[in-house]
Amino acid sequence: MSVIAPKFKLSEFIKSLLDNIFWIILILNLIGLPLVFMILFAIEMPVIHGELLTPFLALSWIADPSRTLPIIQSFMETDMFKVMAFPGFGFAALLAAGTIFVERKMMAKIQLRVGPFYCGKFEGILQLMGDGLKLISKEIIIPAKADKPIFWAAPVIFVATAAAFVALIPVAPGWVVADVDLGLLGVFAVIGFFPIITILSAWSANSKYPFIGGIRALFQMVSFEIPLILSLLGVVILTGSLNLSEIAASQSNFPWIIFLPVGAIVFFITMLAELERIPFDLPEAESEIVAGWLTELSGMMYGLVQLGTYLKLYAFAGLFVVLFLGGWNGPTIVPPLPIELIEHGIEMGPITLKIAGLAPLLTELITHEMINGTLWFVLKTVGVIFFIILPRGVFPRIRVDMLLNLGWGKLIGLAFVNIFIALGLLYAGVLGPGGLQ
Amino acid sequence: MSTDSDKPATDVKSEEKPAPAAKPAPKPVAKKPEEIPVELPAFEKGISDKIVEKFGDKVEVAFVKEDRVRINVSRENVLDVAEFIRDGLNFDHVESVTGVDFPQDKEIEVVYHIGSYSDSTLARQIIVLATRAQREENPIPGNDSTKLPTLRNIFYSVEFHEREIFEMLGVYFDGHPDNRRLLLPEDWADLPPLRKDFVLKGR
Amino acid sequence: MMNEIMPGLALQKVDERIMTLNVGPQHPGSGHMRLVVQIDGDYIVACDPDPGYVHRGEEKMAEYRNYILNIPHLERPVIHDSCNVLYPYVLGVEEILGIEVPERAKYVRVIASELNRCIYIMYWLAIYGIFLGHSTMFMWPAGDRELLIDLMEKMTGARVTHAHFVPGGVRNDLPPNFEDVCLRHVNYFEKRIKEYSAVFYDNPILIARTRDTGVLSRQDAIRLGTTGSVLRASGVDYDLRKKEPYDAYDELDIHTNVMKEGDSYARSRIPWLDMMESCNIIRQALQKMPKSGSVRVKLKPNPKGKGDQTVYKRVESGRGSLGCYVVSNGKPEPYRLKLSVPSFRNLIALPYLLKGEKLGNMPSVYWSLNYWPVEADR
Repeated sequence: MSVIAPKFKLSEFIKSLLDNIFWIILILNLIGLPLVFMILFAIEMPVIHGELLTPFLALSWIADPSRTLPIIQSFMETDMFKVMAFPGFGFAALLAAGTIFVERKMMAKIQLRVGPFYCGKFEGILQLMGDGLKLISKEIIIPAKADKPIFWAAPVIFVATAAAFVALIPVAPGWVVADVDLGLLGVFAVIGFFPIITILSAWSANSKYPFIGGIRALFQMVSFEIPLILSLLGVVILTGSLNLSEIAASQSNFPWIIFLPVGAIVFFITMLAELERIPFDLPEAESEIVAGWLTELSGMMYGLVQLGTYLKLYAFAGLFVVLFLGGWNGPTIVPPLPIELIEHGIEMGPITLKIAGLAPLLTELITHEMINGTLWFVLKTVGVIFFIILPRGVFPRIRVDMLLNLGWGKLIGLAFVNIFIALGLLYAGVLGPGGLQ
Repeated sequence: MSTDSDKPATDVKSEEKPAPAAKPAPKPVAKKPEEIPVELPAFEKGISDKIVEKFGDKVEVAFVKEDRVRINVSRENVLDVAEFIRDGLNFDHVESVTGVDFPQDKEIEVVYHIGSYSDSTLARQIIVLATRAQREENPIPGNDSTKLPTLRNIFYSVEFHEREIFEMLGVYFDGHPDNRRLLLPEDWADLPPLRKDFVLKGR
Repeated sequence: MMNEIMPGLALQKVDERIMTLNVGPQHPGSGHMRLVVQIDGDYIVACDPDPGYVHRGEEKMAEYRNYILNIPHLERPVIHDSCNVLYPYVLGVEEILGIEVPERAKYVRVIASELNRCIYIMYWLAIYGIFLGHSTMFMWPAGDRELLIDLMEKMTGARVTHAHFVPGGVRNDLPPNFEDVCLRHVNYFEKRIKEYSAVFYDNPILIARTRDTGVLSRQDAIRLGTTGSVLRASGVDYDLRKKEPYDAYDELDIHTNVMKEGDSYARSRIPWLDMMESCNIIRQALQKMPKSGSVRVKLKPNPKGKGDQTVYKRVESGRGSLGCYVVSNGKPEPYRLKLSVPSFRNLIALPYLLKGEKLGNMPSVYWSLNYWPVEADR
């Protein structure tokens, strides 16, 4: 006892335990319960089987196995689920976490190293969780002369904008958080917001190195926005619509990359520049300006910025897939679900095995089409992310004047070539809105 | 091989020694039973002869060894000799500059090692050019009599080396554009470190 | 006013257009040296190098130690390349003491020197990769030089700061199976460094960043007194192993790599070519080495030379020609010892080259001068 905790006193231990219990009960009851009731007051409770669902009813139904699945199904149909879990934040964050892990492992293998190895039973798979815990536990240091409100708000706004970007990407037919008719214009607007956040964060830190880094980030992002927008116009011309779900649906026979390879290449390069990935990682050029505009961020603020960056990565890759690679279209490789069997159950003599509620779930919500579409989307996105990560191991950093030459000169020229190709294809009658004619 | 070299001369006009010829000068201290005349290497001898021919008794050839020829000059003539070495003999850069402190002679010696890149016959040769500056007991670097003319206008590569000798030994170089501290910290207020009076603590 | 408080400081008037940037010793892009850079927009107007942050006073300390005690002391300027830093000192002391080194020791010294040269150049290439933002170029050389460090460990017992050369030869003989192991390692090493051309030297972004930057013409390279790979990249064919061969180099066949452009790309490529040449030299030396014999001439304790002698010997190290000037006055300690290091000699090219360069080119030009801050400060 004296080795582990030399000053241990039983009475003090029990006292601290009781203290904690007291505070937990107090907060739960005085603050938690009113909060729950206020939320329940604001959220619409679904109607299941003709009865309004209240919390008590929900608890009693969950105990009944024949009613669990309908409850889950109705929760999945709400907007909240779409925003938070499936095509929204949860799904994107999961893919982002996977991206970070794959990036570190892949970089390590290219560089003859091992990468994360010890954290987690299998080749360091829990490394990200360890890093997240570390970042949360660090002290957040604010420079004395920094502009405090903006400095605190900048990473949060960054994540919010990245999440807004994620919200516009359709994953499967009908599964998109915000189905906007002018979806592509919304994407451009959100992309145009990122340089503002970067410069706000850099300026509010009030120090020389973030200043240089922020200006460089501004140069980079602004000079690559025009080729970005121009390269996507080819697809819009051929599809005739700005709605991302329609663009994805129109590629049911062939992806647009076959007809517009130049635009795809230009978009890929500008995507690397907007994401500040190597070879375009000037804003964070470590050997010249310490860490660029991220220099003064510490602890969870840095963690938020990293989360936002990887959400942006997923969103850009998803955009590339939707616009050029065919979205969720692909040959059906998932075997069709045995609906008949599920509806009527498996009959073995006098006993019938049946999971109630599974059939409507599978026919209305998680349809076969949706599973197939999601699978193809994820596969294509992972492929694009692989190609985004790959230049990190191969290229050194590009220089500022070379970057500006590229963005304002060569890429705009190539993007215009792409538009001419698209116009040519359209007016020659080869392609048009709706597909091959 | 035995290397005979004279003690770097106390006074620069070496009238008491015989003219540098094939015979080495007799050693003042050792008592050898006989002198074996050593044949000096011919090519290096040619170089030292050319210098002696031009400057006569203003220079003193300290030794002529394989690949190394050492010339001692007074501080008034060092600029002329260096210019002749560059223009007449085709040596084009200074490899290193060293300062040696001789408190017993009250002088500080500055030694230049001059080499040649462009002339392929001189690729191995180094001319060792040595001058002496006066030394004072209580030095005020920059403002006392320890001064030498700078060779920077003749050989550009001595710039940083001479700055180092200024801060380490206190020798001021007249005409050097930038006599400033190089390696020592800006607030060094003690003796120049490479002098013999500056004793390391604990020794 | 300030001058009275702290001699050596001076007030400067601030120009509104020119910004003074302090690329200081604590900076991921500068090594242990401070560069005071004045920039006008993106162009460097003036650059004032400020070395001396790692100055230990090695030359002063060397005057208090006798010739043998100076061995572990003088190898510290460059710890990986320690054999090459000791080499001119050891040659000089042997001349002072009048010792002749056995034949096998000469070959062992040649092999150790070449291995150290490769180890140093790999480390230098790794840091060059970091300066340019190329993390793979950092990891690959840092990993591949372990092959050679293992060899040095077998030979001398230490990974860095080997303290292997002594006046009179080498401290210990090679371990029994060394020739085979060395040949295997060196062959694999050569195969590995040939792959660097794919990831580094033929990389279009690298070529775009380093070509035609920091161009040092042949005249200037000679006039500024630069040495080593900087000199050979500007078209001057000068390698001390060929021009003034020492130890066993006159019996080996050496080819000097010369490039004419004199830009940063050439300066970064020459050491890589030199490494492949070193592999050839090691193979030849292993072949020609006498298979047995002593490697050391035993000295009496506290050896001293006779009378007053001054010796200047020089050697081609990983960075250029390293010289050592020893003044001896008959005592067991040297009267004065000066190391003329190539990094200090190449430093004069830095303010000369950086004037008028873009700020983005500063890391690539600065490190391509093969500058090792610790050695320049001694």
